[in-house]
Amino acid sequence: MALLRPFARTRRRGADGDRVWTWLMLPGTVWMTGFLIASLVLVAVLAVGTTDDLGNPRFGFDLSGVRALADPAYTEVLARSLGYAVLTCAVCLLIAYPVAYTIALYGGRYKHGLIAAIVVPFFANYLVRMYGWSVVLSDDGPVLRALRAVGLADGRTKILNTGVGVVAGLVYGFVVFMIIPLYAALERLDVSLIEAGRDLYGGPVRTFFFVTLPATRQGAAAGLVLVFLPAMGDFVSAQLMGGPDQIMIGNLIQDKFFQGQNWPLGSALTMLLMLVLLIGMFGYLRRTRKDEAEARR
Amino acid sequence: MDATPAVRLDGVSKQFADSYAVHRLDLDIESGHFYSLLGPSGCGKTTTLRMIGGFSDPTDGSVLLAGADVTALPPNRRNVNTVFQSYALFDHLDIAGNVAFGLRRKGVAKAEIRRRVGDMLELVQLGGLADRRPGTLSGGQRQRVALARALVNRPAVLLLDEPLAALDLKLRRQMQVELKQIQREVGITFVFVTHDQDEALTMSDRIAVMNDGRIEQSGTPEDVYEHPASRFVASFMGTSNLMTGTYRDGEVALDSGPALPVGARPGISDGTSVSVSVRPEKVWLSDFEPGMSVLSGVIRETVYSGPTTTYLIEVAPGVTLSVLEQNTARARMEDRWSGGETVEFGWRPEHCLVLV
Amino acid sequence: MTLLRLPSATAPSRPAARTRTRRGRTERRPRVLVAVTALFFALLYLPIAVVTLFSFNSKKSLTVFGGFSLRWYRAFVHDDVLVSSLGASLRISLVAMSGSVVLGAALALGLVRCRTRLGSLAGLIMLVPLITPEIVTGVASMLLFKGVGVDLSTGTVMLAEITFSISYVTVILRSRIAALNPEVEEAAMDLGATRWQAVRLVTLPALLPAVLASAVLIFALVFDDFVLAYFTTGVDPQPLSVRIYSAIRFGVQPTINAVGTLMLAGSIALIALALFIPRLFGRRGGLDILSGE
Repeated sequence: MALLRPFARTRRRGADGDRVWTWLMLPGTVWMTGFLIASLVLVAVLAVGTTDDLGNPRFGFDLSGVRALADPAYTEVLARSLGYAVLTCAVCLLIAYPVAYTIALYGGRYKHGLIAAIVVPFFANYLVRMYGWSVVLSDDGPVLRALRAVGLADGRTKILNTGVGVVAGLVYGFVVFMIIPLYAALERLDVSLIEAGRDLYGGPVRTFFFVTLPATRQGAAAGLVLVFLPAMGDFVSAQLMGGPDQIMIGNLIQDKFFQGQNWPLGSALTMLLMLVLLIGMFGYLRRTRKDEAEARR
Repeated sequence: MDATPAVRLDGVSKQFADSYAVHRLDLDIESGHFYSLLGPSGCGKTTTLRMIGGFSDPTDGSVLLAGADVTALPPNRRNVNTVFQSYALFDHLDIAGNVAFGLRRKGVAKAEIRRRVGDMLELVQLGGLADRRPGTLSGGQRQRVALARALVNRPAVLLLDEPLAALDLKLRRQMQVELKQIQREVGITFVFVTHDQDEALTMSDRIAVMNDGRIEQSGTPEDVYEHPASRFVASFMGTSNLMTGTYRDGEVALDSGPALPVGARPGISDGTSVSVSVRPEKVWLSDFEPGMSVLSGVIRETVYSGPTTTYLIEVAPGVTLSVLEQNTARARMEDRWSGGETVEFGWRPEHCLVLV
Repeated sequence: MTLLRLPSATAPSRPAARTRTRRGRTERRPRVLVAVTALFFALLYLPIAVVTLFSFNSKKSLTVFGGFSLRWYRAFVHDDVLVSSLGASLRISLVAMSGSVVLGAALALGLVRCRTRLGSLAGLIMLVPLITPEIVTGVASMLLFKGVGVDLSTGTVMLAEITFSISYVTVILRSRIAALNPEVEEAAMDLGATRWQAVRLVTLPALLPAVLASAVLIFALVFDDFVLAYFTTGVDPQPLSVRIYSAIRFGVQPTINAVGTLMLAGSIALIALALFIPRLFGRRGGLDILSGE
C-alpha cells in the first residue's frame, strides 16, 4: 500500500492550487498575448522589413529603416522629443508639488473633494481639453491677454506654435499623473515628522529640503515615469500647440503610417520610442530598488 | 459507543517547501466528542483542521470521516462544516440568507429551509435578527451566525478554528459555556482548535496537545493536565515547576544541587537526565502526611490574587518553586507566610512527575 | 517659544494662513502655496469653461461671445456624420466595456489566487499596456489587423480597446480581490458550493461595486480614447474622438464646441458615478478606483 502512495497523490485535486484559477486567467492572458504581444512582435519584425513598389509592407530583412534612424532629421526630432518630455516632467513636478502639498497638508476635510476635482476632468476627453487649452493659450486668449495687461508680454509674444506651447500642452495633458502619486506620498507623510523637522532644522525651507522632499522622493519618481511615458509618445500637443518646427517622434510615426506610407520606417521609429522608454523604466526600477534597499538598512 | 471514529487521521503529513507543518499525524476522534486541538501558534493545529475540512491537501496519509476515505474529496463533498476564525460571513446576504446558504446548496425544500433556519437562529439566540446584515452585528452575534450557519446543515463533524479568539474575555467565557451546551444539545462531534489551555480544559471531552506538527499527548483534560507525558505538555498546560536533574536510585539530583526524593521509577535507568514537574497547587505548606517528600526553602515573594495566593520559594540558589494556596474560608490572613521566612513544603510522591 | 506653536498634531486641518512657525511669525509659505493651487485650478478649468461657453455662442466666432444660443447643439443633432460617429462610439464603448470587464475580472481573480509560474507570467503580460505609450499600442494593433488581412472598422476598434482595457480592469479589481477574506470563499465551499459556485455566489457579489465602478470607468475611458481609435478605425463611421480630431486639425467649426461640451459633461458624470458607486453599496468609495490602489 505504502508503495502506491506516490501514485495515488497524482490523482488528487489540489485544493491549494485549484485549476479553476488557471482557467479563469487563461482567456484574458490568451487575448492579451494574441493581440498585444503578437502585435508588438509584428512591429519589431516590420522594422526590418521592406516595401514593394506600391509602398505595401513586405517582410524581409532589410536594415534601411533602422539605418534611416541615424539621419540627422530624425535624431533631431528624437532629441527634441526627449527635451520636451524631460522639460514637461520638470514643469509637472514644479506645479504638482505645491498643489499636492497644499491639498494634502492644508486641505482638511475638502482634501478628497479637491483631489477628485483634479482627477475627474483629467479623465474627460483629452482632445477636447487640449483644444480648449489651445484656445486659452491662443494669441487673443485669456492667458496672453492677462499677461499683456500686467506688462509681462507684448503684442509679439506667442505661446502657440512655439516649443513653450507644446510643453504647455503636454503639461496640461499629463500633470495629473504627477499629482496623484505625490499626493499619496504626502498624505502618508506623518505631520509630526514635519514638526520634528521644524525643531531640528528650524526654518520651513530647510525642513522641506531635509524632511519632506526625501520622504516623498518615491512618489515623485513614480510621477516622473508616469508623465514621461505618455509625454514622450504624444503627438497631439505638438500638432495643436506647436507647428512644423516642433514635431515630436509621435508625429513622425503618425506621418510614416498615414501620409508617408513607409511602414518599416514607422515601425523602426516605434521601436526606437519603445527603447527610449524602456531605458527610462529600467532606470526608474533600479532607482526604486536601490531606495528600497536603503530603506531596509 | 460506535466503534468507528467520526474522524480518523492516518499518518497525515503536510509539507510546505522543506518543512513539515504536520508530521505523520495519527488521530482518532470519537463520535459525539468535543475534541480540542491545543497548541501554540504554528504547531500545525489549524493545518490539521483544514485538512479535515478539505481546504488543504495532505502531502501524505489519509483522512477518514466515519470510516470513509475522503482525502481526495473537496470541502463541498465532505459531511463536515466549519466555523472560521474570521467567521467569514457573507456580507451581501442577510443573517437568514447566511444560515440558509448550505441548505440551499443541498436543494432542501423552501419551507423546510425556513423552518430549520428559524430553529437554528433560536438555538443561538438570534431569533429577531434574521433580516439584518452581518455588518450591523456585534462580534459575539457574528460568531453565533457563523455557528448557526454551520450547524444548520447537521454535519457529522463541526470544525471550529479558534472561534472565540476575537471576543473579549467576558464574552469568551460566556460563549465557552454556551458552545458546550449547544454541542451537548445537538450531539455533533466538535473539533475545536485553540491555543488557550483554559478553554480546552473547560470545554473538551478529549484534548490533543500539539507541538511542532506532532501530537505530544492526547487524552481527557484530567489526564493531560495531571499526567503530562512530556516537558512540553507540562509547561504548556498551566503552570509547572520544572526542574532538570539526573535520576539515580529513586532520587533526582537537581542540576543546581539538592536531591529530590521521587520514589523508584522502574522505567527510568540510573543516570538519565530528566525533568521533575510539580504543579504549584499540589504542594503542601503544612500538615504533611507520612510518605511525602518534604523540603525547606525561603519565601521570596508572596503574590495575592483573590481566591489564591502564590508563594515563590527558593530551594537552592537559582531554583525557585511556585506554590499555590487556596484562600479558603478556613484560611486566615495572619496564617499567610511572608517574605524571608524559611518554610517547609512537600508533596505526595505521585504528584511529582519525572519526565524523560 | 514652544507655547507659540499651534497644537497641529491634534488639529490636522489647521487654517492655512494662520499657521505659525516656532518663531511666532506668521508663515508666508502656505499663502503662496494656496495661491499657486488656486491658479492651478483656474488654468485647469479655464479650457473646459471656454469650450462650454463658446458652445452656447450665437456667433461663429471662437473668441467673441455674441450671446446665448443652442445653435451649435442643433447643428450637431442635424449633422448625420457626427450623429453616426456618436453611435459608433457608444457601440464601441459598450462592447469594449463588456468584453474587458468579463476578461479582466476573470484574469484578476486568477492572478490573485493562482501562485504558479503561469500566474506571474500572466501578471507581466497584463502590465505591458500600462507601460506602453498609446501610440505604440495603436501602431501595433493596426499592423496586426493589416497583417492578418482584416479591414479596419468599428469592430477592429472594439478589439483593440478591449485589449487595452483588460489591464485597467485587472489592476482595479486585483487589489479589491486581494483585500477579500479568502475564508469567505472557503466558507461557501464548506457549505456545499463548488469552486465555481463559490466564486459566483460569494466572491462576485462581494466584488460587485468594484466591478460596476470599473465598468463605468472603462466605458468613459474608451468613449474618450482617441489614439488607439485613430490607428484602428475604418473610414465610416469613425468614432467621435477621431471626428473631433479631424475637425480640430482642419479648421474648427463651433459645432465641435457643442460636441466637446457634451462629451466632457458625459465623461465627468461617468467618472463621478464610478467614484460614487461603492458608496451606494455602503462601502468607502473613492479615488483608489482610478489608481487601483
